[in-house]
Amino acid sequence: MSDKFIYGLKLFFVFLCFLIEGVASSIFGAELPDSLQIHGFATQGFILTSDNNFFGKSKDGSFDFTELGVNTSIRPILDMQISAQVISRRAGEGNDRDPQLDYGFLDYSLISNASRKLGIRLGRVKNPLGFYNDTRDVAFTRPSIFLPQSIYFGRTRNLALSSDGLNIYAEYRKGFANLFYELEVGYPKVDDRETELAFLGQKLQTQGGLDERLSYISRFIIEPTGGRIRIALSGALVNIIFEPKTSAVKTGTIRFTPLIFSVQYNTEFWSLSSEYALRYSRYRDVGPLSFNNTGESYYLQGSYRISEQLEAVLRYDVLFQNQDDRSGTKFSAASTTGALAHTRFAKDSTVGLRWDITSAWMSRIEYHYIDGTAWLPLSDNPVASATERYWDLFSILVSFRF
Amino acid sequence: MMLLLMFGTILGVEAQEVVVHPSVSQETISRNTLRAIFGMRLRRWPDGSVVKVFVLRDDAELHKKFSKSILHLFPYQLRRAWDRQVFSGTGQSPQEVISLESMRAKITHTPGAIGYLPIGNTEIGMKILNVR
Repeated sequence: MSDKFIYGLKLFFVFLCFLIEGVASSIFGAELPDSLQIHGFATQGFILTSDNNFFGKSKDGSFDFTELGVNTSIRPILDMQISAQVISRRAGEGNDRDPQLDYGFLDYSLISNASRKLGIRLGRVKNPLGFYNDTRDVAFTRPSIFLPQSIYFGRTRNLALSSDGLNIYAEYRKGFANLFYELEVGYPKVDDRETELAFLGQKLQTQGGLDERLSYISRFIIEPTGGRIRIALSGALVNIIFEPKTSAVKTGTIRFTPLIFSVQYNTEFWSLSSEYALRYSRYRDVGPLSFNNTGESYYLQGSYRISEQLEAVLRYDVLFQNQDDRSGTKFSAASTTGALAHTRFAKDSTVGLRWDITSAWMSRIEYHYIDGTAWLPLSDNPVASATERYWDLFSILVSFRF
Repeated sequence: MMLLLMFGTILGVEAQEVVVHPSVSQETISRNTLRAIFGMRLRRWPDGSVVKVFVLRDDAELHKKFSKSILHLFPYQLRRAWDRQVFSGTGQSPQEVISLESMRAKITHTPGAIGYLPIGNTEIGMKILNVR
C-alpha cells in the first residue's frame, strides 16, 4: 500500500471517530445508541538518565514521551462489534507524533453462550503476545511507566503492535478453568526505520529495506481459578524479506519466531508476574548475513497495593541478545569495528510507585538501575560506542483517561 | 451452633444481590457465568437477548463487596479485564451508574439489564438472580 493511501486511511479513521460522535449526538440527542462507546487517554512522561538516551535527550531531562489515543466501538447487532483506535506517540527519535491506526476491525462471534465462544476479527488487529502487548501504549494498563523492556522492547515495537489480516478467537468456560485461544494470520508492520535498524543494523539498513510477508501469531491463556492465576503461552512466526536497493544483490529472508511463557498470581494486595521469552531469528542472504540466533528474556515482577490509591512495583528484568553469548564477549571479540559487549545484554532493576489520584487521573514515578544497553533505542543513540554500560533512569508520568 | 455460624457467615457474605430486569427468564446463574457477564465476555442471555451490564464506580463499597463476595474477584481484576478489552477493541466496558437510585432505575427500565443492590433494596420491576 502506498504511503499516501495509508495516511488517507489514518485521517479517515480520525475523522470517523469524530463523525460518529458528532452525528450520533446530533441525531439522537441525549439518546446515543447505547452500544456506542468512546474512550481515550493522554499520557506525558519525563525521563532523566545518568548516561545513554532513552526517549529523547534524556541525559538533560526529556519530555519527549507523549502518548495520545482515542478509540470508538459500536455493536450494530448483538454478535458484531466494530472498533477502531488511533494513537499518536512520541518516544524520542524512534517515534514521531504521526497518528497511526492502532487497530480497526470488525468482530463477529459465530458462537456465544455461557460455556463457549467462537468468533472472527477482520481488519487491523492487535497482536496477541504475552500479558501486556495488546494495550502496551495505554499507561493505565501497564504495570510500570515502561513495560519490561526485555520482552516489550521498543526497537521492534511496530512489528509487535498489530497485523492486517484475520484473527480467530475461541473461549471455553468450565467450573475448573477458563480457556482463551487466539490465532492471527496477517501482515505485521516492519518497514519503519527503527524496526529496520533493529533487524539490519546501521550499515545494512542503508543497503536495503524490509517487507512483511504472511505471518502467524497465536496465544493460549488458561485461568484456572477465575483469574487468580493466569498462565499464557504465545508465539509468532514472522516472515520478513530483505529487499536490497541494488537489484544485483539477491533478496534475503528473515524468519523471526518469538515464544513467550507468561504466568501471574493475583491476591487482594499482591500480584506476582513473570514472563520468559525465547526469540529465534533465522537470517538467510540478508546482505552478507546468513545465521541463526536465539535471544532470551525474562522478568520477575511484584506489585503491592499499599492502599486503594497507591501501588508499589518491584521488578528484575533481563535480556540477552544471544543465549550462547550472554556476556557479549564473543560478539565483541569477533567484531572488526570494536562493538561493545554491553550492547548485547541488559539487566534492569526497577522500583516504582503508582498513584491513582482519581479514577481518571494517574501518576507514576520510577527508578531503574541498568547494566547493559541491549534495548536502548537505536535512534536516540546513533553511536553505540558512546554508550555506557552502567546507567540510571528516573521517570515521572501523568496520565488521563476517559 | 456450627450451623448457626455457617448460616451467619453465608448471610454476611451474601449481603448483596444480583438483580436483573424481569425480561430475563432464568432464575439462577452460576458464579462462572456471572463472572463472564461482569467480565464483559458474555453478551447474550440463554434466550438470545442482549445482556446490559451496570456497575457502580470501582471505589464504591458495594462494588468492592459484590466483586469480592459474589464474583470472588478483586475489583482490580475486573478493571484490568475491562481495560484490556476496551483498549484493544475486543470488547466494551460496562455502563457505570453513579448511585443506587440510578442502578435501580436502569435495572427496572432496561430489558436484559443486570446489576447488583444491597439486600432489601430491590423493588417491584426487578428480579433477583440466585447464584449457584
